[in-house]
Amino acid sequence: MAAAAIEFQGVTKVYKRLFSDEKIAALSDVSFQAAPGEVCAFLGPNGAGKTTSISILMGFFFADSGEIRVLGHPPGDVRAKAQIGFLPENFAFYKYLTAPKLLRLHLALAGRNPAGSEALIADMLKKVKLTGYENLRIGKYSRGMVQRIGIAQALLCDPQLVILDEPTSGLDPAGRREVLQILAGLKAEGKTVFLSSHILPEVEQICDRVVIIDRGKLVRTGRLEDMLAGGNRVEIAADRVPDGFEQSPSGVGATVERGAHGVRILVEAARKRETVETLWAAGCDVTSMNPLRSTLEELFLREVDRQ
Amino acid sequence: MKLRAIVMNTFSGLVRNKIIILFSVGCVCILLLMLSSLLVIRNLRNVQNAEQMQAAVLPMIGSMMALVSGFGSLLAAWSAADALSSEMRSGTILAVMARPVRRWEFLLGKYLGVQLLMLVFVMIMVGLNYLLAWIGGAHIQSAPWELIVYPMVRYAMFSAIGLALVTLMHPILAFCVVLFMSIAAQLVSPGANTTFLPEWLKTGLFYFLPSTNLLSEMRFLTITRATLQAATWSEHALALAYGLDYALVCFLLASWIFHSRSLSRD
Repeated sequence: MAAAAIEFQGVTKVYKRLFSDEKIAALSDVSFQAAPGEVCAFLGPNGAGKTTSISILMGFFFADSGEIRVLGHPPGDVRAKAQIGFLPENFAFYKYLTAPKLLRLHLALAGRNPAGSEALIADMLKKVKLTGYENLRIGKYSRGMVQRIGIAQALLCDPQLVILDEPTSGLDPAGRREVLQILAGLKAEGKTVFLSSHILPEVEQICDRVVIIDRGKLVRTGRLEDMLAGGNRVEIAADRVPDGFEQSPSGVGATVERGAHGVRILVEAARKRETVETLWAAGCDVTSMNPLRSTLEELFLREVDRQ
Repeated sequence: MKLRAIVMNTFSGLVRNKIIILFSVGCVCILLLMLSSLLVIRNLRNVQNAEQMQAAVLPMIGSMMALVSGFGSLLAAWSAADALSSEMRSGTILAVMARPVRRWEFLLGKYLGVQLLMLVFVMIMVGLNYLLAWIGGAHIQSAPWELIVYPMVRYAMFSAIGLALVTLMHPILAFCVVLFMSIAAQLVSPGANTTFLPEWLKTGLFYFLPSTNLLSEMRFLTITRATLQAATWSEHALALAYGLDYALVCFLLASWIFHSRSLSRD
């Protein structure tokens, strides 16, 4: 892997209640990496420690122990932040500003001269479908519109690393699809995207790497294609299965799921030919045979349940 | 560029702050009540009763201006505390601090935004001084810079205290501490009749608490007196340096605490 865009090594964070001995371990020895140009999905159930991890990455919180590097710099370093676009969870904005004023403020905060940036601002508003709402104060925006302006400010300064905490939260299906298209565009441009989301089928479409945490502990991390590979198994669809197939030599170890429209048989790849020939010999019609691949949602539920 | 953006945004937020609007409305109401009685007195005044009227009006103006000026200190502390805590509470600080902004820059921007608000307050107050003095038939003999710089330094001090306290505690608690400090400072100031306090405590508190008497523009505001208490430049320099030093120490303390605290919403 090239020098990581995000590096978390043995990070631990414990919340301590003031005037009490009560301690809550938000993160326990969490380690993962995201390479430049990757779309990395950061997954976990509610309360898993995702937002804490992102807050540590951004320098909002401090880890109790561990090593963290963001674009080669410590968290909160202005050199790293200059290259980061960030969307926090439940995005909050100055309600008295309009969208163009907010974007101008963020340009100024990024050290850029907002004067002469009208074309850039108009382009960003068009990108997130907020054209026509330039004179409306953000306090009057719907939840979805706030999320859109949040995405616009995150992408405003052409960041190398985009960190998004629940980017599709509050968006309708069309809005979610648009966000996915924007993320796909960022991926095509070679940007690193680190996103946390609960909408796994959508994340699966664009991510290269997955990090799953639960109750503050790393559950699994790796490349998506490796994690979804079915362990060298194939799925065979047939119109029916002969009686006693499960007890036959080719049926041993196979999983047979009988449905109204046919049968699904899961077998080791090494035994696929033998299984298909058995089915043919019994007069069954084999309609398809594909390498087995689980979905990200299945993988996530399996890993979290295992915990 | 960054600092200016934070300053102007803080100022914009403060002028929309409901508590500050309420405070301003209260001040305007007091002023209107005052103005109406002043105008009546002005109309009733004639050659025979001019001196009596003057004697009645001028202390009234003086006390009202002292009240507004004193409230300004509390307004400065509240504005500073609220400017920071409202950002933390609402979560707007996260998007700002995700930009290449250092924590001390953010805090300085907030602080200067409060000073901008207080400058507007002071300018209005100075304008009112002149207006009320004119209505009351008196002249302000003190230099205008004294009426601007002294309250500004005092407000700089109180806003820095508010900022330092709010990095540690809830803004309402921070405001109460500032209120307590300002009352205690009056009690331990030289000449105050506080025999119930031991001398060592009075001395200690006098050095620790902000000395508002030293930085009161009322020393130089000659509405109620015919003559102005003259102060040398060295006296001015010493008094202002004290206030600025106190504000700087409090601001540095606030920066140090803010640098190492989490930017959580609670």
